[in-house]
Amino acid sequence: MNREPHVPPGPDRTMTPAIEARGLVKRYPAKADAIEAVRGIDLRVEPGEVFGFLGPNGAGKSTTVRMLTTLLSITDGTATVAGVDVARDPAGVRARIGVALQEAGLDARQSGRELLTLQGRLFGFGAGPAADRAAELLDLVELVDAADRPLKGYSGGMKRRLDLASALVNRPDVLFLDEPTTGLDPASRLVIWDEVRRINAAGTTVFLTTQYLEEADQLCGRLAVIDDGRIVREGSPTALKADLRERAGLDHDPTLDDVFLDATGRTRERQAGDVQEVQA
Amino acid sequence: MTETLVLTRRAVVEGVRSFESLMPMLFIPLFFFVVNVGQAGKIFPKEGTPFLEGQGYAAFSLPAALLTAASFGTAALFLVEEIEGGYFDKLRATPIPRSSIVLGRLLSESLKNLMVTTVIVGVGVLFGVRIRSGLGGFLLLLAIMAVWATVFSGFMQLVAMKTRSAAATNSASFIFFPLLFLTPNFVPRDQLTRPMEIAASFNPVTYVMEAARSLILEGFEADVLLKCTAVLVAGLTAAVALNVRAINHYD
Repeated sequence: MNREPHVPPGPDRTMTPAIEARGLVKRYPAKADAIEAVRGIDLRVEPGEVFGFLGPNGAGKSTTVRMLTTLLSITDGTATVAGVDVARDPAGVRARIGVALQEAGLDARQSGRELLTLQGRLFGFGAGPAADRAAELLDLVELVDAADRPLKGYSGGMKRRLDLASALVNRPDVLFLDEPTTGLDPASRLVIWDEVRRINAAGTTVFLTTQYLEEADQLCGRLAVIDDGRIVREGSPTALKADLRERAGLDHDPTLDDVFLDATGRTRERQAGDVQEVQA
Repeated sequence: MTETLVLTRRAVVEGVRSFESLMPMLFIPLFFFVVNVGQAGKIFPKEGTPFLEGQGYAAFSLPAALLTAASFGTAALFLVEEIEGGYFDKLRATPIPRSSIVLGRLLSESLKNLMVTTVIVGVGVLFGVRIRSGLGGFLLLLAIMAVWATVFSGFMQLVAMKTRSAAATNSASFIFFPLLFLTPNFVPRDQLTRPMEIAASFNPVTYVMEAARSLILEGFEADVLLKCTAVLVAGLTAAVALNVRAINHYD
């Protein structure tokens, strides 16, 4: 099924950026030598954008997300999210963001409603408002029927939708989605895409990492390609394709796959297992 | 504080929902208790065994059972399960003080232990045990065991956060064997062999056990209770401080 690519409102560079990183570095100490997972990233994401962050396994996508969401310390450089300095006021950042990580980490002993209500309490809602917000979100992600069932009985797609809902409890300014559709069947993937569009249409900035180029093409107004801890391309999918066509002197329009392969120096053979093209 | 209580409540509900996780806390201590009393009851008869203070051997053996139960806390196992499953990061991504996450679990462990201790003391009563210090002593016994359960779980949570592995956390729980058996758990300290007496004197669990035993057999013994209090305060302070530090520096 073909869907219209999301066309975001043009970035307004006069506003405080939703995300800004300068010279972001993550270095892990190791016995022999330090491992540098992220090597000096500069990023600027404007409010209202859906920004895609692409890269092969181990490129530094999740490490970057974990630094921006305060889950991992920053070795060097600075970052602000929703105008708040990540290192100086991590709790202030956490109050303004929503996070859905790769693992859809949920507590299997709770029901969907309990999980969302607890999440609301942790964001400072009273018991009543937390329960109301949980009901609202269950309705949004269409999990009302399963709301009171333990999560261990949920399918992968249901868990992802619930995880997404839990990331929205505090009506975040910026939503971080780390590979939100990995491992989902095509139907569930489409549901998540629709949710992302709906969330973004309501004004939330979305920072999305993905291995699926089709997903980036469908959802993202702008994207960056990271490889070996460095950003190797940045721009809108259309601009990146046009740039490649011009540089390579192609007589046809390249796909985002071609852009990715060109940016990371990979061949189609090497691409297998790294980044996948999936038609949902 | 609200966040800590919210997370404590969640952890208690979690314990109730996975009732099987409470079984080792109850079954293993009661098994040892019944077996020990069955095996040593005739060797140490009520009449003619001065250290029993007129009670049966069950009364002497009960503190060991209570301490075993307090050392079978599940907080660290639930925590490491959340670390491995990713929910720990979900909680860390909320704006609460991160210390609430570990403190909520520790508080729930002390509440679960209150229940488990009450059940085991109840079984002890069926074996003829009487608490010489009365209701006040029983309440103090509950408090001592709850704090010890918190201390032990606190150190296990440190292993969980450090290793991030359920297998490693599970293995580390075996530390309870030397802690529990290098104590005067079968006879009073002055009747142990010299090497065992020295080992027991260096083991902080000895002082918790002797305080619990004094409440059951003798009454309120100020010096014994004071030593136990010192051990519990030091243990609790260290466990809480190290847990808070560990989660605040968790990367």
